[in-house]
Amino acid sequence: MANLAGDAVLGIPELDRDLTASLPPGWLGLLVGSASSATSLFAKQFAHAGLGSSPVLYYSVYESPTDVERAFRDFGWDPAGLKVVNLAEEYYQRVLLRDLEISRLRERGLTYSEVAGVPVSVSAPRTFNLTSRVLADLGALDSPFRLVLDSLDFLLEILEPEAVLTVARQVRHRAQTLGGMALLSIQGDIHERRTTGLLEDMADLVIELQAVPNSGGYEHRIAISKIRNHPERSRIAPVVVTATGLGLVDTIAGATNSPRA
Amino acid sequence: MADGSLPGGPPPEPGADRCPTGIEALDNILGGGFPRGHLVLVAGSVGTGKTTLTLEFLVRGAERGEHSLFLSVTEASSKLRQNLSTFEFFRPELVSSGRLVFVDIPVVYEKLGLDHEEFTLEEIDLLIRSIQGLVSELKISRLVIDSLTSVCYRIRREERIRDFMLKLSQVLADLNCTTLLVSEIGQTSARFSLHGVEEAIVDGVILLGNTRRQGDIIRVLQIIKMRGTSHSRAQYVVELTPIGLLMAPHLKGGQQEGG
Repeated sequence: MANLAGDAVLGIPELDRDLTASLPPGWLGLLVGSASSATSLFAKQFAHAGLGSSPVLYYSVYESPTDVERAFRDFGWDPAGLKVVNLAEEYYQRVLLRDLEISRLRERGLTYSEVAGVPVSVSAPRTFNLTSRVLADLGALDSPFRLVLDSLDFLLEILEPEAVLTVARQVRHRAQTLGGMALLSIQGDIHERRTTGLLEDMADLVIELQAVPNSGGYEHRIAISKIRNHPERSRIAPVVVTATGLGLVDTIAGATNSPRA
Repeated sequence: MADGSLPGGPPPEPGADRCPTGIEALDNILGGGFPRGHLVLVAGSVGTGKTTLTLEFLVRGAERGEHSLFLSVTEASSKLRQNLSTFEFFRPELVSSGRLVFVDIPVVYEKLGLDHEEFTLEEIDLLIRSIQGLVSELKISRLVIDSLTSVCYRIRREERIRDFMLKLSQVLADLNCTTLLVSEIGQTSARFSLHGVEEAIVDGVILLGNTRRQGDIIRVLQIIKMRGTSHSRAQYVVELTPIGLLMAPHLKGGQQEGG
């Protein structure tokens, strides 16, 4: 798939036409999915669509930068210029790994060699402020950008919902200020309705990906369930995964709605 | 220390093993030093010489071949070592040989995940076990915690401080480790510690203070309590000099007290 920077919004041309005409220059999108609904692929396709025209930040929680880049290449997308941050890995290194070490020392006892000559000044904070982590990157941007956070589920696992909503608000504000496009993914139906409701309300664009089991596998659908100020452009369409990414079924000649070969 | 000797100190009590402070005048007053394994509070306001006294106690012990440990809470130990180098009685090889050891308590807190505002009961026990472990591992016979006040800020509740003090006292006595606990108090404080329970549990209390005399501020020292020791409760003038802490009887007259 060619780099669709410019008019590309999602990297699916048929949808991009509508969205380009409807969305403001800076917006926040919410991508709601479930297992096997191709949420991560969609997120990558969105990130790829911005490469070459703007800085692209991809916050991953389950995939390493290498995994993300490999997935890009699987679909023929050049990941050059993509900045991938694995939040879960940073969380693991700065919080969980340290908790393991603390448990070990608490259980086994502290020895002098573990504290000898350790200067107080280099002691690492035990908390990992995800908000600060994301905002530090955003703060360094001074032009239109593209941001993907796949997914909010991880943040909701370790932070209070209010803190996650604050992150989303700050990302949205930054996007509005700089003319950026930000897409936050979340699993539907596993979080409090209040949280997802507030996120949907905050988002300018809400996209739902569905995977409906059929006899041969899954039938994938995309639902544009909200475009701020343009409810008439909401739509549901079947999608298929091709060698170059997700596309609408009715525009791909000879497409069958089954996992790609 | 030629200038520091005071005549008339009590003879050591029979059977009491003493831990000489190395500060001659103080040892004379104490009948040879602190009783071994005792827990002694060194209380005083800012600038009264608490840290200097406790550091000299450790250095003099290290010179005698004893293993000494300074657990620093409030000041980085690297800075303390720098300050120590200005004293003539300090020799760097005491540190390099491992006889004089410094550990920053904040590092212990961090390693054990105690870097938060208030300790739980389990964490208080953990801290005691860690101190006990270090003392045991390094064969420490002289320990200073500077300051107890900072540690107690994180324990907060009086009943927990009492529990902490009793357990600490027990484990250090079992290890025959003579311990000085620095207590930061205000100039006009009627107590010798943050909550008052600390001074009730320790074996001894030394009070350092400032007094005005003829327009000057002088440091004074007074032994308030020392179990197992007959001691004077008189005030002594203290001078911090490059050769160590010097003491002389306080000749009173026209003064205002503080500390």
